[in-house]
Amino acid sequence: MLKKSLIAATLSTLLAAPAYADLTINGFASIKAGMTLDSDDTLYGYEDSPDFKNESLFAVQVMSDLGEKLSVTAQLMGRGNEDFDVGFEWAFISYQLTDDVRINAGRLRTPFYKYSDFRDVGYAYDWLRVPQGVYGLGFDNIEGVSLYHTTQLGSFDSSLQLVAGAYDGEARISGTDVNAEIENIVGVTWELGKDWYSFRAAYLIGKVSVGAEAVQLQPGVTFGDFFAGLSGAGFGALVNEIDINEEDGAFLGFGFTADKNDWLLVAEYTLVEVDNSFISDQKNFYVSIGHRFDSITPYVSYEKEDNEAKTEIYTPYLATLPPQLLLPVAGIVQSQAREATTYNIGLRYDFHPSAAFKVQYSSEDNELADLRQDVLAFGVDVVF
Amino acid sequence: MRIIKAALLVAAMVSGSVLADIAVVVNPANANAVSADDLSRLFLGRTSNFADGSKATPLNLAEGQPARDEFDNKVLNRSSAQLKAYWSKLVFTGKGTPPKELSDDAAVKAAVAADATAIGYISSSSVDSSVKVVASF
Repeated sequence: MLKKSLIAATLSTLLAAPAYADLTINGFASIKAGMTLDSDDTLYGYEDSPDFKNESLFAVQVMSDLGEKLSVTAQLMGRGNEDFDVGFEWAFISYQLTDDVRINAGRLRTPFYKYSDFRDVGYAYDWLRVPQGVYGLGFDNIEGVSLYHTTQLGSFDSSLQLVAGAYDGEARISGTDVNAEIENIVGVTWELGKDWYSFRAAYLIGKVSVGAEAVQLQPGVTFGDFFAGLSGAGFGALVNEIDINEEDGAFLGFGFTADKNDWLLVAEYTLVEVDNSFISDQKNFYVSIGHRFDSITPYVSYEKEDNEAKTEIYTPYLATLPPQLLLPVAGIVQSQAREATTYNIGLRYDFHPSAAFKVQYSSEDNELADLRQDVLAFGVDVVF
Repeated sequence: MRIIKAALLVAAMVSGSVLADIAVVVNPANANAVSADDLSRLFLGRTSNFADGSKATPLNLAEGQPARDEFDNKVLNRSSAQLKAYWSKLVFTGKGTPPKELSDDAAVKAAVAADATAIGYISSSSVDSSVKVVASF
C-alpha cells in the first residue's frame, strides 16, 4: 500500500497532474522462462539454456481523469530483453468527444492486428505469446492521433478506429539495428462483434524508409557502398527498385474470433507490401482453437508465413548486369524469401483471480532453410 | 473447516433461492426499463446510456461479494477471470474503464438513492424503498 502510494506520488509528479486529479493505477507483469530444445537452435529470443528474462516484462499504467471528459494515460514498461530499461510504451491524452467518439493523441499502439493493443498484456489472452509468424512485423508504436467510434449497428457492436501518425524507430536487418521510419501513416480498422463472434479488418498505408545502407553485405562492404557502385555503373534505376526510401507501404489484415460453448476460435490473415524495395510481399496467417474447461484452457494453433522474394526486380537486368553486380542483387532480393509453418500447443490455467499460469510448446519449420526449431516456455501473467 | 463448508452448502441449498436472488436497482426517479441485454452492455462498457438516451453510471459490487459472482455468471455470462481478461484489454489500451466498485449492498443502495444516473445490483433481501427494482435474477 505504501509502495503503491509512493509510485502514485512519483508518477503523478511526472505527469504534473494537479493534486485534485483522480488517479487510477493499474499494472501487469509477465514472468516467463523458456529454452530451445536443440543445442544450435534460436527462436523467439531463446537459446538452448533456460532463460527467465527474454519474454518477461513489467508495466505500470497511470490514468489521471482531469474531468470535463479529458484524461491522461501513461504506461511505463520494462522488458527483460531490453534489460528491464523502463520506457513509455503508451503515453496519450484522451478526449471523449461524444458518448460514441473518443480521441487519443500521443504515443499509441499501431493497430495492425486484433491483439496489437494488448499484446503485452498476457493475462488478456490464452496463448503464452501472440503468434509470431503474423505478429513479428515490428513498428509496434506510432506517435499520432486516433479516433475511436463505437456504436450499435442492428444487433452488432461496431468499433471503428481511424489512426494517423508516424513511426520513428529501429528495424533489424541481418542482425544490424538500423533506423526505420514510416511517415504519413493513415489507417482504418473496423471490428463488428455479436454475442459470440467478431470480424475485424485493418488497412494502413504509409511511406516507409529503412536505413539499410549501413548493413554489411559482406565483410567490408555495406549496402550503401554497393548501391553507390551500382549507381556509378549506370544502374541507378535498379537501386531505386531495391532501396527502402520513402516507399509506399500497405498493410491489410483480416481477423475472426468465436467464443461459443466454451470453444474458442481465432484466425487472422495479413498482407504486407512495400513497393519499390527489396522487402518481400508477406502473406501470413494463423488459426487457433482452444477449449475452456472451467479454469483450464488448452489450445493448439497453426501459423503459416509465405514471404515471396521480388525476383521481378532483377529479371529485366539478367542480360545487362555484369555477374559481379547481378549476384549480390539477386542475393539481397532472395534473402527476403521465407516460408515457414509453426505448430503451437499449450494451455492457460487460471490459478488465481489475478494471475494465469501458461505453458506453450512451439515448433517452427523453416521450409527454405529446411530447419525445424522447437521452443518450450512457461510462465505467469498477472494484472493488478 | 469441512464441517463449516458442509453447513454452508446445506444452508445454500435450503435457502438457495433467497440467498441467490439479486435485484437490479436504479434511482426511484429513473423511469427507464432495463433488459438483460441492456444490463450486459452497461456493465461491459459497451454503452453508457439508458434506453431514453440519458447517462447511466453502472456500479459494481466488490469482488468477493456473493451478489457479484451471481451477477457476473447469470447476467454477464462470464467467469470472474474472463471478466478480468476482458477489462484488462480495455484498461491497458485506453478504451474503457470498468464500473466503479462499492464495498457492499448498503454502499450501492446509498449511491443509487443519491444519483439519478446510477444503476447497481444488490441481494434482493437488501431492497428497500430508497431504490427501485428494475430486474431480478
